[in-house]
Amino acid sequence: MQVQVKLFAFFREGRFIKEDRELPEGCTVGEVVDTLNINREEIGVLMLNSRHCQFDTVLHEGDICAIFPVIGGG
Amino acid sequence: MVDETPAILSLLKKQAEDRYITLAAAQKIALQNSTTLASVESLALQHSILPLRYKRNGLNSAEQLTLFKSTVAIIGCGGLGGRNAEILSRIGVGHLILTDPDIFSESNLNRQMFCTADNLGQEKVTVLERELQKINPALDTSLHCNHFDRSSILRADTVIDALDSAEARKELATLCQKEDIPLVHGAVNGWYGQLGVDNRTNSIINTLYQRTDGKTTAPRVVPMTVALIATMQATEACKLLLGKGTTIDKGWLQCDLYNGDFEVIEA
Repeated sequence: MQVQVKLFAFFREGRFIKEDRELPEGCTVGEVVDTLNINREEIGVLMLNSRHCQFDTVLHEGDICAIFPVIGGG
Repeated sequence: MVDETPAILSLLKKQAEDRYITLAAAQKIALQNSTTLASVESLALQHSILPLRYKRNGLNSAEQLTLFKSTVAIIGCGGLGGRNAEILSRIGVGHLILTDPDIFSESNLNRQMFCTADNLGQEKVTVLERELQKINPALDTSLHCNHFDRSSILRADTVIDALDSAEARKELATLCQKEDIPLVHGAVNGWYGQLGVDNRTNSIINTLYQRTDGKTTAPRVVPMTVALIATMQATEACKLLLGKGTTIDKGWLQCDLYNGDFEVIEA
């Protein structure tokens, strides 16, 4: 299945801003995060089709998954 | 006590040119009448006489008076906080409550506008008060050289979140929601930043920091990101003070200066 993955802020560095990815059926948001070598502890917000989701949320064909890091500096 | 107001007002009217009063004239009137510059300018604004330094703001005297009567609490006086303080002083906010327990250190020089090579080691809030007085001599400041508490935000019309830890931000959001004061959030990392206005309805800070356990290392930050996010925070704060509300009350704004990409995320 095809899922669009959108990355934000420094997660884009060495990766991409937006990419259509071919993923196996039943793949979870957490697995996408792991595949991208993103440390789960660095995640601030996860969204699926503009709604909040969790690491164990299962993806479906045509979904848009957005991954935001914690931005904490002042 | 004799009410000096009519005498001061008559002096103001006499000295004002085209309804603007210069700083020197207002200071002289204050001195002659044993009162403060702030009270002279307050009286001027109430009678549609604008301090000349606000001329180019382009705000009318009612708006300028609203800002003058406003209190903004700035929590954290580093990169974001310092620049917020500078902008809010220049536009004419009357009272700033500044809270920060830290002193300036060398690694602050790249992005904290009031940090200079000759004030390293000095308390941030004390330096800010001194420098802000040079920008706006009518500004009233209250200093808290410690971790924030309820007294840091009490009586504030708007609060600026210029902190640097997730835990502290969540604590501040809880405090502001309890007092029902809008909290203008800003945060930076590298070339990236985010902006939002936390309130009881959206709890945006809890959304953004829900997963963090507070363990954060000092991030790298370029000065442009700090300047941009602080400028946008000060903008939202002024719009809130002027009763225009905020345009980002549902979600947050994600800013990527490196790729020139700005997106409002509806939460």
